Amino acid sequence: MHKTLALIGLGLAVPTAVLAHHGWGSYDAAHPITVAGPIETLKYENPHALITVKAADKVWTVTLAPTSRMQSRGAPPEFVAVGKMVSAYGYPSTVEKDEMRAERITVDGKTVELR
Amino acid sequence: MLHDAPQVLIALEQSALAAAIRQSSWAYMTANVGHILALMVFVSSVVVMDARLLGAFAAAPPSRVVRPARRLAALGLLLMAATGFMLFTAEATHVAGNPVFQIKAALIVLGILNALLAGYLLREALEETQAFEPLPTAAKLSALLSLTIWFATAACGRLIAYF
Repeated sequence: MHKTLALIGLGLAVPTAVLAHHGWGSYDAAHPITVAGPIETLKYENPHALITVKAADKVWTVTLAPTSRMQSRGAPPEFVAVGKMVSAYGYPSTVEKDEMRAERITVDGKTVELR
Repeated sequence: MLHDAPQVLIALEQSALAAAIRQSSWAYMTANVGHILALMVFVSSVVVMDARLLGAFAAAPPSRVVRPARRLAALGLLLMAATGFMLFTAEATHVAGNPVFQIKAALIVLGILNALLAGYLLREALEETQAFEPLPTAAKLSALLSLTIWFATAACGRLIAYF
């Protein structure tokens, strides 16, 4: 059992020596924005689906929801397919440049809540 | 993915396994639920074990409580490591750089070192101490340290999402 514990410890210790960066959660809810434009890329993946949207000013990375929630709310991969026009209401990241987290998105006149 | 992350983490995140976890409709969710269930097994055993070291359940000889609880805790930890690896690998570069994750990883190392050290130093005391007899102070210290470390670890785990 000691060996097992030691091995687990080693495995868990390895990732510690890394530069500081962030994960999820740092979004400026006090300053909501709407990003609108065509979808350029789609990653329909967990833990959160991601799209990039070519807005008027720049290309935004828009963080959506876990894929199972997307599915159950009526936003399967086809709904956010590359080339579709999307309007995403949400909050800009305070950490990552040009990234926002969508509260809701509208595609083809249909709005889906993502929270 | 973060392109300035260490190569090994980039490779991990780009691996077929990581992609499969991200793209599966159930894998990430299952790992997430499994991690919490494993935590329940782990921390409940740890609390029973440490409570005995602190003097609770005095009617039972310490070894009769600590040994089985420790085995169950090791099983819980193993399940936590397996599910945790799945969660980690899916977004390795982001998670590894998360300051709270780094604190959590350090705490896990400390917790395991404390458990190994206690197992080594207290082996004889555990075997010899009978029911209702006091355990050495080292046992109490190690139990307090263990509880502090593991509760802090769990708190960090939940806090990763907010930093």
